[in-house]
Amino acid sequence: MSLLELKGIYKIYGDLHALDDVNMKVEKGEWLSIMGPSGSGKSTMMNIIGCMDKPSKGEVLLDGVDISKESPKNLTAIRRDKIGLIFQQFHLVNYLTAIENVMLAQYYHSVPDEKEALEALDRVGLADRAKHLPSQLSGGEQQRVCVARALINYPEIILADEPTGNLDDANEKIVVDLFHKLHNEGTTLIVVTHDPEVAEVAQRTVWLRNGKLHKETVNENFTGEIRFDKN
Amino acid sequence: MKKRQMYFRMITASLLRRRSRMIVALLSVAIGAAILSGLVTIYIDVPRQMGAQFRNYGANMIFTPADGSFTSEDITNGASYIDSKDIVGVTPYRYESVRIHELPVMAAGTDMEQVKLTSPYWSVEGGYPTGSGQLLLGASLAEKFRLGVGDEVTVSYTPEFKDRGSDETVLDNTADMKVEGILETGGPEEDYVYLRMSDLEELTGISGKTDLAELSISAKSDKLKEYAEKISSSVPAVSARLVKRVTESESTVLTKLQALVLLVTVIVLALTMICVATTMTAVVAERRREIGLRKAIGASNSGIIKEFMGEGMLLGAVGGIIGSVLGFVFAQQISINVFSSSISFMPLLVPITILVSVAVTGISCLLPVRSATQIEPALVLKGE
Repeated sequence: MSLLELKGIYKIYGDLHALDDVNMKVEKGEWLSIMGPSGSGKSTMMNIIGCMDKPSKGEVLLDGVDISKESPKNLTAIRRDKIGLIFQQFHLVNYLTAIENVMLAQYYHSVPDEKEALEALDRVGLADRAKHLPSQLSGGEQQRVCVARALINYPEIILADEPTGNLDDANEKIVVDLFHKLHNEGTTLIVVTHDPEVAEVAQRTVWLRNGKLHKETVNENFTGEIRFDKN
Repeated sequence: MKKRQMYFRMITASLLRRRSRMIVALLSVAIGAAILSGLVTIYIDVPRQMGAQFRNYGANMIFTPADGSFTSEDITNGASYIDSKDIVGVTPYRYESVRIHELPVMAAGTDMEQVKLTSPYWSVEGGYPTGSGQLLLGASLAEKFRLGVGDEVTVSYTPEFKDRGSDETVLDNTADMKVEGILETGGPEEDYVYLRMSDLEELTGISGKTDLAELSISAKSDKLKEYAEKISSSVPAVSARLVKRVTESESTVLTKLQALVLLVTVIVLALTMICVATTMTAVVAERRREIGLRKAIGASNSGIIKEFMGEGMLLGAVGGIIGSVLGFVFAQQISINVFSSSISFMPLLVPITILVSVAVTGISCLLPVRSATQIEPALVLKGE
C-alpha cells in the first residue's frame, strides 16, 4: 500500500479547474519533487496533501485513510500527527527562540521536550543558535529551524513548499543536504520547487500544467548520496 | 517540560518580547483601569469628603433642654450615644444678659476650643480667648462700643433678685476683661459677646447651667436622624434635633454628586471597554499569519483561543496592577485639588480592579480571536 495516493482529484473554483483529474502515488520513504509553472496547481495540491484543503472530487488516501472526507478538526489532528511542513517564507513565530519554535510543534503534538528539540536543532547544525530569536538568524538558519520543527514529531511525510526559494546558494545546499539526510533516515519527502536543480536531486519528479499531471520523470542516477552542488 | 509550562512560556514571551507592540495595549488597559479605580475610589470617598466639607458650614445637630435647662453632664450623656469617630465637635452655650458701658448686651459662655470645631466658618480678628479675663466681641458690638483687639472693657452682671420684697440692695458683679478677638460671621453672632464658660460662671456666680449645645457630626442624614431619636428618647433632659437647613442640603448635594460620579464611572467603563476591545482587535488582526501558522502545525481552534485569551488576560492582570496604583494616585490628586484632603488607600479595590481588567481584556479578545480562528492555514503556505 502506498503511503499517499491521489485518486481522480479535482479542485474546482467556479469555471477554473485548479486540479483536474490528478492521480498520483507516493511510496513510503520516497523523495518526490513537484514542479510546474505558476498557476499550474502545485499549491492547491500541496494544500490538499497537507490537509489544509479538500478536493472538490476524488480520494486522497494517506496511510489508507481517505482524508478528503475528514472534518476540519480531524484534518488538524492528521496534519499534526503525520505531516511536517516547511514553508518558503520560513514562518517562525518571531517572539519565540529557535528552540521554542521547535518545541511549539511538540506542544501541539504531544509534550514539549527541550532536550529532544535541542537534538533536532543539532541535526540541522543550529544547536548553538537555540536561544536566538528568528530576527537574530539568517534566512538559511531560519529555514533550518523550520526543518527542525517539521521533523521533530517524526512525521510520515515532510511537505516542503519552495523550501529554497528565499535562500542563497550556500544555504540552499545546506537545506538540500538535510533533505538527503532525512531521506536516508527513511522520511518521505514531497518538495514543491521552481528550481530544476533542487527538483532533480529527488528520486522522482512530477510536472503539473493547468491542473493536470503533465509529465513524470524518475531520477535514474539517484543513489541517496549527498552530492548536491549548485555549480 | 509540561504543556502548562510551555503555555506560560509562550504567553509571557509574547508579552515580554513584543514590548513595543504590547506597550500600547498595556497602556490602554492600564489607563482604563486607572480611571476606573480612581473614579470608584472617589465615588466611595465622596460622602466622607463632602461630609467634611459640610462640617465647615457649622453644626448639624442641636441639643436643647427638654424642660427648662440642662447641665453639661446631660450634654456629655447625650453625646455618648453618638459614635465617637463621627463627632467633630460639641459646643455648649449659656446665654446671659450682661452690660458693657452700661448698655445691655447678650453674652454667651462657651468652650472656645470646641467652637473652632463646630463653627469653623467664624472669622476672628485677633484670637480666641485662651485664658481667664479674655473675651471675643461680635463685630457689630465692637463697632458700637468702638472697641478693638487688646482694649480693656468692664463687663457687669446684675444677679436676679431672690426676694423681690426685700429692700436689700443688690450689687452688680463686674469683671475687667480684655478684648482678645473681634468676631465676624455676617450673622447674628456679631451681636454677641463670647466668654469662656468658666468666666461667665464666675461673673454670674452660677455654674453647671447650659442653655444649648451645638454638635457637628460627620454622618449621613439617615444616621443623624437615628442619633437624634435615640438621644431624645434615652436622655430625658435632652431634646436633640437636626439643623435641617444643613443636613438636608448636605443629603441632596451628596446624592446628586454620587449619582454624577457613578454616571461618569459607567461611561468611562464603557469607553474603556471599547478602547481596549479596539486595541485587542488590532493586536489580534496583525497576528493573523501567526494564527494561520499555528493552525498549520497542528493547533486546534480551542488551543488558539486559549493561548490568545491567556495573553489577553495576563495583559489585563498586569494592566490592572499598574492601573490600581495609577488610579490611587489619580484619585489622590483629585481629592487634594478638589477637597483639599487626602484619601485613604482601599486595598480591596486592587483585586477588584485587576479582576475587572482581566474580564474586560478577556471579553475584548474573545471576539477577534474567535474570528481569527476562521483563518485558513493554507493562506500561510501561499504567503498571504
